[in-house]
Amino acid sequence: MAIDTSVSEFEYPGEEDVGTPAKPPPVWRRSAWLQPNVLWAIAGGVIGYLIGHWLGNVIASGYQQVQSSGQNNVAIVLGLSLGVAGWLAGIGALTYPLAKILGYEPSPSPPQQSWVRYFRMTEDHKVVGWQYAIGVLTFLFTGGLLAMLIRTELLSPTTHVFGPGTYIFLVSEHGTVMMMMATSAVVGPLGNWLVPLMIGSRRMAYPRVESFSFWIFMAGYLVILSAFFFGGFPTGWTGYAPLQTQANGGMDSYLVGFGVIGLGMILAGFNLAATIINYRAPGMNWGRVPIFVWGILATTALLTLATPTLVVAGLFGILDRTAETAFYVNEHGGSNFLWQNLFWFFGHPEVYIMALPGFGIVMEIMPVFTRKPLFAYKVAAAGMLGVALLSFFVWQHHLFQSGINPDMRPLFMLTTELISIPTGFLFLVTLGTLWKAKIRFDTPMLFCLGMLFNFLIGGVTGVFLSDVPVNVTVHGSFFVMAHFHYTIMGGLIFAMFAGFYFWFPKITGKTLNRKLSKWHFWTFFVFFNCTFFPLFLVGILGMPRRVFEYASNLQTLNDISSISAYFLGASFFFFIINVVWSIYLNPHPAPDNPWNSLGLEWQTPTPVPWYDFEHIPVVLNDPYHYGEADAPPVADLGKVLSAVGAPAGSVSHEDLGTGVEGDGDPRPPIL
Amino acid sequence: MRIWGPVLRATATRDPRSCEATNITMTNSVDNQQFESFAGRLQETPEEIAFELRAQEGALWTGGRLLIGIWAFAFAALGFAYFYLRSANNENLWRPHGITAPTATGAAIFAITVASALLLMFGERRFRNDQTLDWQVAGWTAVLGGLLVIGLQIWQLTDLPFFPGSSGYASCFIGWAAMNIAAVLGATYWIETILAREIRLRRAIAQDGGAPSSTLPVARLFRANLNGCTYFWGFVAVVATFFWLLFYVI
Repeated sequence: MAIDTSVSEFEYPGEEDVGTPAKPPPVWRRSAWLQPNVLWAIAGGVIGYLIGHWLGNVIASGYQQVQSSGQNNVAIVLGLSLGVAGWLAGIGALTYPLAKILGYEPSPSPPQQSWVRYFRMTEDHKVVGWQYAIGVLTFLFTGGLLAMLIRTELLSPTTHVFGPGTYIFLVSEHGTVMMMMATSAVVGPLGNWLVPLMIGSRRMAYPRVESFSFWIFMAGYLVILSAFFFGGFPTGWTGYAPLQTQANGGMDSYLVGFGVIGLGMILAGFNLAATIINYRAPGMNWGRVPIFVWGILATTALLTLATPTLVVAGLFGILDRTAETAFYVNEHGGSNFLWQNLFWFFGHPEVYIMALPGFGIVMEIMPVFTRKPLFAYKVAAAGMLGVALLSFFVWQHHLFQSGINPDMRPLFMLTTELISIPTGFLFLVTLGTLWKAKIRFDTPMLFCLGMLFNFLIGGVTGVFLSDVPVNVTVHGSFFVMAHFHYTIMGGLIFAMFAGFYFWFPKITGKTLNRKLSKWHFWTFFVFFNCTFFPLFLVGILGMPRRVFEYASNLQTLNDISSISAYFLGASFFFFIINVVWSIYLNPHPAPDNPWNSLGLEWQTPTPVPWYDFEHIPVVLNDPYHYGEADAPPVADLGKVLSAVGAPAGSVSHEDLGTGVEGDGDPRPPIL
Repeated sequence: MRIWGPVLRATATRDPRSCEATNITMTNSVDNQQFESFAGRLQETPEEIAFELRAQEGALWTGGRLLIGIWAFAFAALGFAYFYLRSANNENLWRPHGITAPTATGAAIFAITVASALLLMFGERRFRNDQTLDWQVAGWTAVLGGLLVIGLQIWQLTDLPFFPGSSGYASCFIGWAAMNIAAVLGATYWIETILAREIRLRRAIAQDGGAPSSTLPVARLFRANLNGCTYFWGFVAVVATFFWLLFYVI
């Protein structure tokens, strides 16, 4: 028993500091400017691009197709690829993988606490969550700005602001930026920030992979934006061949960008899955996992399994455009429908990559504001897993109008309709939670209700669209466009804001202004519906997507949509002003648990220390026993972990009865 | 309780006045290398350190299997493309004149990949029987085998009897070559890092029974990592077999 040298004999400066790291003495460190950071990443990206472009010209400038077209795709692809590599090298993401070749492993070092950490690789999941939040908002505002330009063009059926080529590029860029943003909108900021806290962990399983996933995500953003410099791409966000193969250099940005962001998505899912499976606190068996974490877990299955298909499809596209293969070229033994199949095998699960975390947020928040237990917790978890599983079997409904044997249509119509069953589970769980509840209409709850309203419209129109006759009738029209905006923006973005408003006090330690919050919700909700509902009508009346001229009788509806879109965009200012006001101009410290939530993440001090929990908590129950007079405690934070050798999730309340003595922490168990 | 001894020795050397000194101790203490608990940075109980260690072992196990899942779906996309284009046979250009990529090189690539994986599996079994040297020989041979496969695959690309865009088969083959290079490179990198790690740890772990049987955290994580890597090599061998059959046999 060499344990006598107990750490409790060890005196820290100040008794209240037990559990916190001792302050390091001033030692010489490299200046923050000289350490890997975002400036070095930018420099690395530029240098990498220049080297890659030069190399591509050396390799391919003599090729016949380059000389005849004047366009060297090899140079562009190599430039972008080496640019991404340079970006990653500059941020320090390659240091550790290279050191491993020599057998080195990272040595523990205290996390940096200065503001510089937000511009570097970091192992603190909360910092990565912040980085993702800024990244996602950057994507969102870029895509939103492009949407304003699109709606401006559509103000008039005949008077044009842009040419047709520019218009289709704006539509394509908007769609690509938004879809890539949406895949990480919840998983990135909230997933990374909250999952370890919600499962009682002090860290992620692969913190460097987590940080890597963010920085490669941002590299993908820059790559997709680089399409502006190469003339854009005309395919919409779906990148269909044969247009893909024929398009100019902007298409390379699309393909490389999708590949790069796809890698980031895979890695993010990989890390979160490993964390949830292995780092759950003792006592947190699968029946006690917070429902938001279930949503993230189901999403990670899609991220890790569906996204590789997108990356491979992108690789084939790049090979077609550089090595002159013919994957998507019918005339040379390929097939343009192959792209559609591979793309939608990823693309449809992607819809659920967006929806499931959104539902997780809503189901996590609703019990707090209804003060009722989550209705049918197990059904909710099963519903999310069911959606994730079925989402792999529906992709061909996107091909009803192209590239599918007509005899196969009923099968995929059936699988698509089947997926509405587990989705219905999720809806019923939320409605069951609302049933006979005394609802507190705080802003997070309003966003949750808004999400349900919008997703209902998006979901019901989705059921119509899964039917072949309707699908054939409205395919490629604004009806489809309105449908997926209702599910993605009306569902995911509303849920994302519900999450931001709910967890903002914990994340920042500040209280948001209530009036501004509610102004944001109501303007956002009203103008969202005013923007997108008319588009169902113009779709039914026959207006096709991605076309900048339309019948003059549709102008009124389009104008309502466009003008509402401006107000919708303006409603974001309430959010921005609120955040700036509440953090910098008129800060009010937030209490540790302003909503009286039972969630484990709310039991930590605010701001949350870098190590999350002073002691690894022992979970005793699920966190949804709201409104129960004799509700059991949810977790024990004060006691020292007593279950040696027990795997995660295997400790029961009885195991703890005479466990290791507490450390004097006066806090009672959570009630 | 042997596992706690080394961990706590490291903890007990902490000097409250110097976090840097603590880190130096931790960095130089082989007991804790590769084991990223918060020891030295946070007052952890032995049980908490044990929890962290167990979670990291589990994460390595899960990570190894997830990697196989990720690559399986990537190669499934290639397999889908192969069968889709083969059945579509647009313009009768799936595989004109039954032409194939150079079969001798293809067979060599296949054979070396499978042999390397089998050798590695055999080596890991020997490792578990405390025959570390056998595993090292098997491991370094697998590294050489992986590099050879990559070299042959690249060389084969320069020696193809068809233009990349001449047929569906040709396109799929180029896709396979690119993906196989990436997969084998990843597998080779992984086993090389483990072998290099073993060299760095060898002397310190030897006192505790060596990597195969040491109960030190670093040894436990090492074994979990090796196990995941060996599985991944097995997966690469299965993929190599499958696509060798597709591209050269049927």
